[in-house]
Order: sequence, then C-alpha cells, then structure tokens
Amino acid sequence: MRKFLLGLIEMLREIGDQNAYARHLAEHGVGHSGAEWRKFCDERFRDKYQRAKCC
Amino acid sequence: MGFLKSALWIALACTAALCLGAIATSRGESINSIWLVLAAVCAYLVAYRFYGAFIAARVMALNETRATPAERLENGHDYLPTNKWIVFGHHFAAIAGPGPLVGPVLAAQFGYLPGTLWIIAGAVLGGAVQDFVILFASMRRDGKSLGQMAREEIGKVGGFVALITVLMIMVILLAVVALVVVNALAGSPWGTFTIAATMPVAIFMGIYLRYLRPGKVLECSAIGFALVLAAVFGGQWVAGSSSLAPVFTLSAMAVAIAIIIYGFLASALPVWLLLAPRDYLSTFVKLGVIGMLAVGILVVRPQLEMPALTRFIDGTGPVFAGKVFPFCFITIACGAVSGFHSLISSGTTPKMIAREPHALPVGYGSMLLESFVAVMAMIASCALQPGVYFAVNAPAGIVGKTAAAATATISGWGFPVTADQMQTLAHNVGETTLFNRTGGAPSLALGMAHIFTGGSGGAVLGFWYHFAIMFEALFILTIIDAGTRVGRFMLQDLLGHVAKPLGRTSWMPGVIGTSAAVVAAWGYFLIQGVRDPLGGINSLWPLFGIANQLLAAIALSVATTILLKMHGAKFMWITCAPLAWLVTVTFSASWQKIWSPLPRIGFLAQADALKTGPAAFNARLDAVVCGTFMALVAVILIDSLRLWFGILWGARDRSVVEAPFVPTRLSAEEI
Repeated sequence: MRKFLLGLIEMLREIGDQNAYARHLAEHGVGHSGAEWRKFCDERFRDKYQRAKCC
Repeated sequence: MGFLKSALWIALACTAALCLGAIATSRGESINSIWLVLAAVCAYLVAYRFYGAFIAARVMALNETRATPAERLENGHDYLPTNKWIVFGHHFAAIAGPGPLVGPVLAAQFGYLPGTLWIIAGAVLGGAVQDFVILFASMRRDGKSLGQMAREEIGKVGGFVALITVLMIMVILLAVVALVVVNALAGSPWGTFTIAATMPVAIFMGIYLRYLRPGKVLECSAIGFALVLAAVFGGQWVAGSSSLAPVFTLSAMAVAIAIIIYGFLASALPVWLLLAPRDYLSTFVKLGVIGMLAVGILVVRPQLEMPALTRFIDGTGPVFAGKVFPFCFITIACGAVSGFHSLISSGTTPKMIAREPHALPVGYGSMLLESFVAVMAMIASCALQPGVYFAVNAPAGIVGKTAAAATATISGWGFPVTADQMQTLAHNVGETTLFNRTGGAPSLALGMAHIFTGGSGGAVLGFWYHFAIMFEALFILTIIDAGTRVGRFMLQDLLGHVAKPLGRTSWMPGVIGTSAAVVAAWGYFLIQGVRDPLGGINSLWPLFGIANQLLAAIALSVATTILLKMHGAKFMWITCAPLAWLVTVTFSASWQKIWSPLPRIGFLAQADALKTGPAAFNARLDAVVCGTFMALVAVILIDSLRLWFGILWGARDRSVVEAPFVPTRLSAEEI
C-alpha cells in the first residue's frame, strides 16, 4: 500500500512537472529559485504546448 | 505456464465470454451494470496477456537488452528513461480527453449493446494495437512523429497529407467540444458562474506558481481544486440570487461568442498565466474523477434502464441520425479507436520509455484503460431512465419546443417520461430546464451525479451534477486553448513557406493574424452548430468522428507499412484488419453524410431541402469538408497500397529504417 501511494505521488509529481524541474536543477547544477523555475517553465511550456491535446 | 495459471486464464476467458453472452442476449428486462464491468475487465485482461504479449514478443520482438532513445539520447528534457508506471500515468493522462466520455453517451441512443461491444472489441483489436504499434515504431526511430514516419515510410505525399488532415481535424474537434460546453452552460447560471470562476482561479494559480511559490505545482493545484469546489458551491448561491442569476443566464449564442473570445485571448496570453496552471488542475481532476466514477460504479452497481437495443438502430434516432452501422462506430470514436492517440504515441511517450517491453503496458494497456472509461460513460448514461435520456439529448427540432410536446413525442417512442418528472429533476440539479440539452455532457453529468449520490438523488444531486459539468468543461476549455495555439503553430508553419515573417512565432502581427484565423475557423463551425435546429451535434459529431477515425486509418497505414517491411505479409493482418474495418466504416459514413437522400443524414439533401440561406450554405460546406477528409485519406491509402504491392512483388525496397541496436547500460535499479 505504501509502495502504491509513493508510486502515485511520484506519478503526480511527474505529471505536475516537479520531477522534470528537479532534473533540470541537477543537470544545470543550480539551486531552486524563482528565476530558475521561470526559466525552466518557459523552456518546458514552449515545447509542451506546441503539441495537440488529445480528444 | 503452470496448471493454476492456465486455469486462472481459462476462468477469466470464460467469465468474459459468459458476461458478453449475458449482455448480448438479455432482452426485455434491465440488467446490472456489473455485467458490463466484468465483461470489459476480463476481456481486457485476456487480450493484454495473450494478444498484446503475442504482438510484443512475436511481431515486434521487444528486446529487454536494447537501449531505447530515452537512454541513448537522454538530455534531461524530452529524452529520459522513466519508470514504466509513471510513463503509463503520463501517457494515459495525455490520451484521456472528452471523446471517450461524450461518444458513448451519444451512442447510447442505440441501446447499451452495440456501443459496449464496439468499445471492447474495437479497443482490444484496433485502438490498443494502433497505439502500441505506433509507439513501438516511434521508439525504434528515435521518437519520430507520425508525420515524419509517414513521410519516411510511405512517401512525401503521405507526410504532407497527414499534416493537412491533422489541422482540419483540429478545427472540427475544437468546434464540436466547444459546442458540448455551450449546450451544457446555455441558460444555466450555476454552470456558467462555476466555469467563469475557473478563469480567475487559473490566473491566480498561474501567478501563485510563477511568483509566490515557484515550483509547487501539487500544492498550487490542491489550492486551485479547493477554489473550483468553492466555485461549484458559489454557483448554487448565484443561481438562487435574483440579482446575479440573470447576469449568468446566457443564451447558447452568447456562451458561444464568450468561448470564441476566450479561445482567441487564451491562445495569445502567456502560457504560464492561464493554460499551464489549468492544464495541471484539469489533468489531476480528470484522473481523480475517473477513479471516483470507477469506485462509484463498483459500489452502487446501478441497473441499466436503457434496453440492449432501441428502435433507433434503424437510423431514425433523435440524438443523431443514421443507422447503427456505420454511425455507432463513428460516434464512439476515442473510446475504441482514436487517431489522435497516434500523435501522443509518437510524441512525448516514446522518449520516456526506459526498456522496450514497457511499451506493452504503456501503449496497449493505456488504451484498454481509456476503453474502460468509455464503458463507464456508457453505464452512466444507460443508468438514466431512457425517457429522461432522450428528453435531455434530443433537440427541440425533433421532439418539439414545449415540455408537453417533447414528453408526448418521447413517450410515444415507448420511453415514458412526464413534464413533471423532468421539472423535478431540473429543480433538483438547480436548472430551469433539462430539455434539449444536446451534446452529451448534461446527460453524462446526470448519470455521474446519479452514481455519486448512490442512486438516491436528493439534495446533493445538484452539487454532483455541477461538479461533473465543471470537470467536463475544465478540460474541454484546456483543449480549446491548447488546440487553438497548436493550430496557430501549424498554420504559421505552413504559411511560413509562402511569406517568411508569418512563420515566425515571435512576430506579433503573424501571431494575432494566425490565431484569429484558427479561432475564426472553429468558431464558424461552432456558430453553425448553435444555430442548427437539430442541435449541431447531428452534423458536427459525425464529422469529428469520421475525421478522427480517418486519422486512425493514416496511423494504421503507417503501422502496416512498417510491419510489412519487417516481416513481409506474415503479420500484416494485425494492423490491416482494423484498417480495413475503419476504412469501410468511415467511407460508408462519409458517403452517407454527403449523398444520403434523407435530409437528416445527407448534407447535400439537407441543403436541397433548405434551398438557400446560411443553413443551406453550411450543409454544403459540411459536405465539402467531409469529402475533403475522404479524399485526403484516399490519397494516403492509394500511396500505401502502391508501396505494399511493390514490396510484396519485390519491386520496392523493404529495408527497415530503425535506429541501430545499442545494448542497454541501465540497471534494473535505475528504472
């Protein structure tokens, strides 16, 4: 049950881009800040919202 | 396989057969929804374990030791090896849209049997196979898109036609889903207030996420969810207020114009302000509500009040016109086979798969879950009294404009319903009327509210009804916003070849001009639907269904070409059989929609009956759009057939253009 809940939270974090942000910080070797989050979002959203959403 | 395992799978297969037999042969009395649930779940499990595994092992030869593009091209952004259940959730969240919810509700006019059988069989043999094979093909080609694969595997014509087809489908899709929202909100101050309130809530979330608590997406979404729940409660108060209720009581045309203006503004606003926060929220709400509906159906186990087959299989249905073949298959659309899924299966997902065998649960398994969502939507709509279902879904142009006329017509069909019954139901859900609310969303919301209240109705029925409307509208508006934006990018991409500045996404006149062009295109069809005395759904949903299934035909053509190049004719049937079925169904439906002499079915007959005026022009325009879809797909099919025969006769090259084999270096712990 615990494993299931942890997996569920992990999935929600992935869908919510929080994991992608953590990877972004690790990749660039920088700490979390408002400016870094905004930079990450601008890059990610530019790509994400060039794709159609499914019907 | 051990004896116990074999016995278990035989038992599951027998249960599936027994339940399918029970729902197929039951006549004259209502059956419990649990039969549908068991039939679907057992069929999915057997199909996944045997058919899915057969395709994975024998046809694709998925290789545990082969490095996927996620590993080879890992860049921390798109390409990233990810846990298979996380990819599964990600993929399912991406493919689950309003189609599998609305399509089965509309197809319920034929009774629960045809739709349910197609949802299960179509998904197992067609939809899941398409998603799986395209995901596999893209994964073996470094995550290439469907358009790129069509261009490389079939030819340049195929790639260009795929792009044009997707753009046209987007226009029809946006119009039809906007029409679903319009019909749910027109004349409903509660619903209109709730949905209007989601705009400032989303903007607040955008600002919160960007400046107040950057990066806290889950926290922000939880706050957003609490606020939209408050908006649902607030809507009840607004509906009861003598001063505010008139402000939020809008005609269908007014709601349509508001959505068109919204679509234009939202596609031009910064993504972080409105689209992205609402996208997070709507995705979480969507997954939560689907889970709640599954639990609700299992707990309540509602009786199906709709008969297995209704008299409307003869094509005289009030929700939309046309016989059960081919129109049931067009209407169900995404719940069984969806061409749009091939865009997701060749988009983000193949770049996240850590090990090749994960493509089975992600590609095949996700579609089975989507199909189960469609079965749940069928159950929710068939749990309503049929008289109520038809009163809600039938347009005034068919059943009459007054409550007395509508109830008399519907009761005359053998589905008793009274004006008092409808008035009480409308009062319980906080609406002034529930007659002629075409589009599927209101009847689905009624069915869901019926299940969430345990079938008892009562005081909370109104809350759950508007909660369900909010849930549907929330992600439909996200589709409109994102779809307009994507349509604009595609148009800019095309126009950039003609005039370079138009192709630049940073040139504001180009952005505004192309946004306006895309909004004008789907807005035109939306207004056409609102003005249509037959409710708009009768024309637009079949167009959308045909377009979506034709896109699936393109995807299956690409998939067949790839299987042919890999194995010769040996395994072609896996994708060729669903392709042949889809081509038969979509071309029959398209032919009837254009040429049928019955004005309710044939666009040209409808135009002739109307003679002149905007409605006659619109009917002819719909015929042209339908014909264009057929022509575009015919081009791809002919191109594919030429290639297939060339390969089979040895005249054409059949080399497979996959990325070279590289052994994986990922350990099991890393994924």
